[in-house]
Amino acid sequence: MLVPCVVIFALFIVWPLGKSVSLSLHGSDLFGRPDAFVGLQHYRDMLGSAEFRHILWVTLAFVLLTVIPGVLGGLLVVLLLEQHIKGIRIFRTAFALPFAFSVASASVIFATIYNPAIGLANGILGKFGVDRIGWLTDPSWALISVAITTVWMSIGYNVLVLSAGIGAIPDEINEAATLDGAGGWRAARFITVPMLGPQLFFLVVISTIQSLQSFGQIKILTPEGGPEQSTKTLVYSIYHTAFANNASDFGAASAQAIVLFVILLICTGIQFGVLERRVHYK
Amino acid sequence: MRQLTAGRVVTYAVLILAALAVIFPVYYVIAGSVMSPGQISSYPPDLFPHGLFTGNYEGATHSGTPIGQQYLNSILQTSVITLSQLITSVLAAYAFVFMKMWGRTVLFGLFLATLMVPWESIVLPNYLTITGWSIGGERLTASHAGTMLALVLPFLANAFGVFLLRQSFLQFPLELRDAATIDGAGHWRFLTRILMPLNKPALMAVSLYVFLAAWNQFFWPLLIGDSASRRTLQIGISQLNDAEAADPGLILAGVTLSILPTLAIVIFGQRFIVRGLTAGAIR
Amino acid sequence: MRSIRRTASAVSVLAALALIAAGCGGSDTKGDSAGSVDAPDASALDSATGVTKVTFWHGMKGANGTAVDKLVAAFNEANKGKIEVTPVYQGDYDETITKYKTSVQQGNTPSVVQIYDIGSRFMIDSKQTVAIQKFADKDGYTLDSIEPNIANYYSIDGKLNSMPFNTSMPLLYINKEAFVKAGLDPAKPPANLDEIMAAAKKLTVKEGGKTVQYGFNAAIYGWFVEQLIAQSGTTYCDNENGRKDLASQVDFAGEQGVKIATWYQEMVKQGLMPNTGKKTDDAQAVFKSGTSAMHLESTGSLRGYIDAAKGKFTVMTAPFPHLSATDTGGPIIGGASLWVDGPGHSDAEKRASWEFVKFASTPEQQALWHTGTGYFPINSKALDLPADKAWVAQYPQFTTAITQLHNTKPTNASSGCILGVMPQARKAAEDGLEKAVLGTDPATAMKAAAESIKPQIDTYNKAVKK
Repeated sequence: MLVPCVVIFALFIVWPLGKSVSLSLHGSDLFGRPDAFVGLQHYRDMLGSAEFRHILWVTLAFVLLTVIPGVLGGLLVVLLLEQHIKGIRIFRTAFALPFAFSVASASVIFATIYNPAIGLANGILGKFGVDRIGWLTDPSWALISVAITTVWMSIGYNVLVLSAGIGAIPDEINEAATLDGAGGWRAARFITVPMLGPQLFFLVVISTIQSLQSFGQIKILTPEGGPEQSTKTLVYSIYHTAFANNASDFGAASAQAIVLFVILLICTGIQFGVLERRVHYK
Repeated sequence: MRQLTAGRVVTYAVLILAALAVIFPVYYVIAGSVMSPGQISSYPPDLFPHGLFTGNYEGATHSGTPIGQQYLNSILQTSVITLSQLITSVLAAYAFVFMKMWGRTVLFGLFLATLMVPWESIVLPNYLTITGWSIGGERLTASHAGTMLALVLPFLANAFGVFLLRQSFLQFPLELRDAATIDGAGHWRFLTRILMPLNKPALMAVSLYVFLAAWNQFFWPLLIGDSASRRTLQIGISQLNDAEAADPGLILAGVTLSILPTLAIVIFGQRFIVRGLTAGAIR
Repeated sequence: MRSIRRTASAVSVLAALALIAAGCGGSDTKGDSAGSVDAPDASALDSATGVTKVTFWHGMKGANGTAVDKLVAAFNEANKGKIEVTPVYQGDYDETITKYKTSVQQGNTPSVVQIYDIGSRFMIDSKQTVAIQKFADKDGYTLDSIEPNIANYYSIDGKLNSMPFNTSMPLLYINKEAFVKAGLDPAKPPANLDEIMAAAKKLTVKEGGKTVQYGFNAAIYGWFVEQLIAQSGTTYCDNENGRKDLASQVDFAGEQGVKIATWYQEMVKQGLMPNTGKKTDDAQAVFKSGTSAMHLESTGSLRGYIDAAKGKFTVMTAPFPHLSATDTGGPIIGGASLWVDGPGHSDAEKRASWEFVKFASTPEQQALWHTGTGYFPINSKALDLPADKAWVAQYPQFTTAITQLHNTKPTNASSGCILGVMPQARKAAEDGLEKAVLGTDPATAMKAAAESIKPQIDTYNKAVKK
């Protein structure tokens, strides 16, 4: 019964991953074909370069800027919806809508909204007397703007998952809380949030993986790594080294990809190790 | 029953503002798609269309790009991937939960690890592999059917579905399973007659998730499709426009066309997703 | 968590499996069949039986893609039963060249491929193509009617490597009403960077401390740097723009490049121009909205601008500005060109490809191409055809481009730099420009940018000379 999965994974994930490992140990010719064996040279070059450290910082900042607001934002919305709101269905549907957008469509829309001279974002801020912001052209804003787009895209799914979690909390628990006089935010703080532990944990893990692998919105909103390379994350760097501007350094790109894979493994491992201990399972 | 206290006013205000902020881009796409080129590029920006301008849709559907065929391709590709992932995930999750075998946990860990392989690092080897295959002396991607096959092949299975369903199956009461076995139900009977019907919400949740992900695929279909009639909708839409003569209205019309099915799924399927996840799919 | 250790061991198994795969995954490099980059005789096609098939990869989408399809249909109609061309859109220019490279890896190249101007050096060094000149020489076919300024870009030592196909030129776009309102004469547009800055000061309008109209705007676009340097009559890279020998370094950190960066920096600092970043469509949107009075863009944007400006303002065009008042150079005429592939293709197919490429460059087809897309016709005779004249009458703004082209004397400077890593060099120039706009000293910024590209040039040149 495992055979179909194993075959597909072996053919299209493990095997190409092996190819990547092999490529990362070779140089590349004009067409991206592997040529001379260079051993760990790509890894040494990468780990020794200031640019790579910068890329890691950007990657880390991006993960923090997307995962934390995305999960907390979803949580806040769901807790608000829990306060016996009229039209909860309509609200929940509204918050779920971004889930329908592909990365490409969402990015195209935000690109127009962010236009520094004539975009809607600055148009609206201007009405309140706020000066124009270089959303995607100011190095201190670019990563934040891309993160906002990413959070927008993920909020729908997060709300759905957390709503489901709340729905699964047994009525007796809520009733007991009400009898104890714990209503509104106190109940949320001491009962709902702890009971949502498994969902929150799941979202943190999945969002981290997705955030580390985000690509489309970065490429569309801030091509070439953004102003002063302020949005050059690891995945973007892989793409840039392998495909952009007629580059085809598959060797160096593969080495970066392997590093990303290892980072993903470590992050997920830590999350399982640290976070899941604190999660309350029924 | 409840009084309209200050706290509740704030709650509503926050929710309404947040909801507006989230919906706004959705509104903007649809409103912008019926604006004329002059209106859409005006400043300060116009939020309400002056009448219904259909030129963008005419441009999108009469651009020489076979949007209809691409719609069909997308539906085919997405359905095949969804159905296949559903089947492969159910089978694998079943094996992980109900079949005792050597190295089960290790294998499951391996499955999870595949989720962490960055797609960018394996896309090129995959592309070279698949375009290198041939059937009856013809390259796989030389025919329409072959291209469709190449589109879906790497996505016939995914560990995400296995992960979700495994968690759901783990909740299944063991007594029920034992009762079924005593009644003489084999693996297959138990799976199809008891387990799957009882886990319908979880299956629904997986299907919807996979459907949306597949529908929105971009890079792979772009690499694989070798002619306009073999491409998917997402690619077709991205090609409506040329960089030197960007036409925002045309883009928005294209985006609107491409989100109609997914929007419908989110609006009408939302209930199922929530119920599916509620039913213990992710704990 | 209990299964952590097991998961960890699972991961090491996965890694081990991957390593095994790595061991097996050798490269299957195919040797190039030598000699196949020569032009075969015409008899190869004449004696071919059946229909010779030609695949044509291109990067044209939207209205331009439709024009390609029409061109191919016309060719297939004219060569019914003999040659059949199948056009295949492969994504944008970058994606097309990426796919082309993988096709070389697989020994599965298309018969004809459209590659952007800055990929020309790479195409020559790839040794996969048959030079157009070889076909022309073999047949005694004259290439004289190709616009000399355009042919020049794709020629080395006067020999044409690829057939120019789509050509665009940069122009200065002007919002007529904004000029009139500011008391400037739109018929006497600024001709160099200093004049643009002076005009922009008059054209920038502020209301309540906020800018409602910028005097000028342009994307941070490396193409403009290349154009402005060519306008000054100097070269962008050494060895005569890479036309005498492989270029070994870029010159944009020199006087001209620094002047451009300083000017961009000042324009933004003084609030005469918004910094819309590197994306050209963001800069285009600003001009279309009427929020900017002057703007740099390619001729290809003309029609979209006229549509968007309808009812708001009148679009006018002027020659692309000079760097300084004393400049005598002219703009580079790039775009993209068609390359005929040699290795792996039969002689009949190569001849068929040549027939197609020739067809695409005829006056009739170029006139259709020009009027259908807004690109410049590469065949000088196309402009004399009635259909073309009617189009130019409809879009008189295009005349500026024609005059600009014909006024440019072909030199190595105006031919543009030909460099293996030209796409990366363009991006490096953009990085330098952007740094300057964001406040770094222009000379430092451009110098750092030029240095950043040096290792890539060296690696490329080493790979080619091997």
